[in-house]
Amino acid sequence: MFRFENVSQPPLKNVNFTIEEQDKVILFGPSGAGKSTLLFLFNRLTDPEEGAIYYKDKPIEDYSITSLRKKVGLVLQSPNLFPGTVEDNLRYGPELFDEWDEREAKKLLEYVQLPNSFLDREVDQLSGGEQQRVSLARTLANKPEMLLLDEPTSALDNRTAEDIEEVLECLIEDHKLTMLMVTHNLRQVRRLGDRGLFISDGTLQEDGKIPDMLDNPSTKALSNFLEE
Amino acid sequence: MSPEISNQSLLFLVVFVIIPLSLSYFYQLGLSKDVLWSSIRGTVQLFAIGYVLTWLFDLPAEVGIPLMVGIMLIVATFHARQKGKELPHILPVIFAGLFVVEASVLIMWLTFDMVKFTPSEVIPMSGMVIGNSMVAMGLSLERMKSEFKQNNGRLLAALSLGAEPKQASHLIIRKTLNAALIPNVDRIKTIGLVQLPGMMTGLILGGVEPVMAIKYQLVISLSIFSSVSISAMFVTIAMYRYFFNEHKQLLDSEEEIESQQQSH
Repeated sequence: MFRFENVSQPPLKNVNFTIEEQDKVILFGPSGAGKSTLLFLFNRLTDPEEGAIYYKDKPIEDYSITSLRKKVGLVLQSPNLFPGTVEDNLRYGPELFDEWDEREAKKLLEYVQLPNSFLDREVDQLSGGEQQRVSLARTLANKPEMLLLDEPTSALDNRTAEDIEEVLECLIEDHKLTMLMVTHNLRQVRRLGDRGLFISDGTLQEDGKIPDMLDNPSTKALSNFLEE
Repeated sequence: MSPEISNQSLLFLVVFVIIPLSLSYFYQLGLSKDVLWSSIRGTVQLFAIGYVLTWLFDLPAEVGIPLMVGIMLIVATFHARQKGKELPHILPVIFAGLFVVEASVLIMWLTFDMVKFTPSEVIPMSGMVIGNSMVAMGLSLERMKSEFKQNNGRLLAALSLGAEPKQASHLIIRKTLNAALIPNVDRIKTIGLVQLPGMMTGLILGGVEPVMAIKYQLVISLSIFSSVSISAMFVTIAMYRYFFNEHKQLLDSEEEIESQQQSH
């Protein structure tokens, strides 16, 4: 689905990997390693200084930027909801492409396990966990083919984080989505991922199956990271 | 009766300078030098402009007005630019905005015979319009920059959902315009109740009938209101695009925006 060839964009150096459809990939590594930068390269929130990225075997520059961003949904660390109601947020993406169908709203809330009564709620009245669910639903409203998640639970307490993980697990399974998630949390790596990309100092150090790569790391960098 | 202040009376204004000076001295505010310097500078500037205005008012209107209005526009452009000098094309955008505002207001005044085409009427009134528009543009630029910084996450979220830069910036444009217009709405609302506007006070002191002074004040207040609105809108709508590059990516530092400026 995505192919990165010799991609460099500080702090990333010469990164190569491929992501197939319906892969559940976890991108992990120490802070400042370039994980968020790598994530932003997928939907062109940033572009590489060197190298090439292919989406479905075509260079990503061949796609219109807005339609690529619609196909590759991103959920950020903070919910960053827009002022207004939950429904205003859910309709934001589809309305950009004249695709909003009001019947979708309830379905979207169902996906993220929130009751229908939330549609008219002002977003600033929601808890952190509820806001993150709305943010997830807002991204899903665009019907993306791939979901990028940038540490979506890092600002939440453990219990809320586990609830969101459960929502994510169901979503990915039910919608056959391709997922790339950045996390620091090793428990999440084991729970949500089939494949791990370990990145350190801007370099892709390991690309392997989960949990094998965690149980038997083949690089010193990963061993050190797991011991920390 | 025209006001007459003798030079001797004027000398007693020193008392008004001594008060802040003493405050600065007793509370060790370290402002003595600034207070003294700004008082002297202000006095010299005002006297100088007094002589310049006397000279200008004696010139034929078609020479004096373009000359002084031109100088005002240039000085105001350079001053407002300070608030956004890292943004590309900021100088021509501000100049064009101020020029359009001043020209429209002037046409309106002259067409409907609100103001006579004489230096003594057009220059002070244009000064108020240009000055207020300059402040509005500077504030809008400053506000817009801080809104872009504060809403970085929301902007990324909007772009990642497929929004064009214009759509993603909608919230910021709205907040910036709101911030620029609210003080003016409040000022108009309380005009005459909380404070007697400067121009009206000046005219009344100069011996003009209060009702006539109010008419002039209305002309200038509403002219300023609309110029400030147009200026804030003009500069905001013209400049938001420079916070993005041609790939619809958000530029998140002043260095990035400046390097964009060099490539333009």
